[in-house]
Amino acid sequence: MALDINPEHARPWITAAAPAHPSLIDTAHITDELFGFMNVPMCVWIDEDGMIVRAAEVASIETYLRRDAPIPDDLPERIKEIMVEVKKLESKPDEYRAAIRDWVEHGCESAYALSPDEVIARSGGRPIEHSTAAAYFELGQHLFHTEGNDAAVPWWREAHRLYPENFTYKRQAWTLVTTPEGAEANDLLQGPNEVYAGNWLDDVRAIGGGDHYYPPLRL
Amino acid sequence: MILNSLAVDATAFTHRTGWAATPEGLCKGDVCIPAPGVDRGDGTLDVKVLQERLRMPLVHDEAHGLYALGPESGGQSLTTARAPELTLPQIDGSEFSLSSLRGCKIVMVAWASW
Repeated sequence: MALDINPEHARPWITAAAPAHPSLIDTAHITDELFGFMNVPMCVWIDEDGMIVRAAEVASIETYLRRDAPIPDDLPERIKEIMVEVKKLESKPDEYRAAIRDWVEHGCESAYALSPDEVIARSGGRPIEHSTAAAYFELGQHLFHTEGNDAAVPWWREAHRLYPENFTYKRQAWTLVTTPEGAEANDLLQGPNEVYAGNWLDDVRAIGGGDHYYPPLRL
Repeated sequence: MILNSLAVDATAFTHRTGWAATPEGLCKGDVCIPAPGVDRGDGTLDVKVLQERLRMPLVHDEAHGLYALGPESGGQSLTTARAPELTLPQIDGSEFSLSSLRGCKIVMVAWASW
């Protein structure tokens, strides 16, 4: 399920992956508020009866490409600084894949399938600031589609201010400035621009660094 | 939820948020909150009552005549563990409902091109 306000930005990635499973596009980011996604990749598990058995959590099913590689000396200084933070990102791909397989095999008997009360408890609190950010973001996305990007910007700035830990709101807005035609690869420089005050590196540092980029994964 | 006025279609509100206006009040899962006056009697709900009772922020864009009603606040992100009804487009434009996978386990991964 792609969180992409412009479905054409997701198209080449889906076409290249040619998935056998359904591949949806959430152009309004409504799953942010319905499930609690606030970054990517994140995941929820839903059982055969339509019950969520794991609330939104970071879903690292493969190691980040550059995580374990040394940082080349010849990279621009800013990229090197970004790579330092990328190396701190939460990543337990082997454990997470094993947990999925355990659930598939054992169903509700799996230790990874949580009770409804645990799911609700783990979904995290929603203060008024986060709810208001969701309203601002949705208004911005509506105006993006009806009026264009400039009309969305003031509302998205407010969403960023009220919910600084939500990187789906930020990265979606930033990328419409930095790569408005759609990203062809990871845009490591994402953010620095004349429209928004924030950018990936500075905002990640502001929340304490890459090890705070995702909520801790509790398997 | 984007609105043009301070009355919202009750069915659309339930579909989007999971909250339903019942004789017991506004209910979602096992939770019911009294909300006198929310039902306007014409198939719409009073947004100001929703705002107050569910602590849903209401943002007004005067220039475009729009309101945005945010999700309920003050509690957990999930009120119930029952997955919300969700229908989203696929890349070919066809609509896909999560409920069509009932009977299967679902691992729903959020990703993005950016």
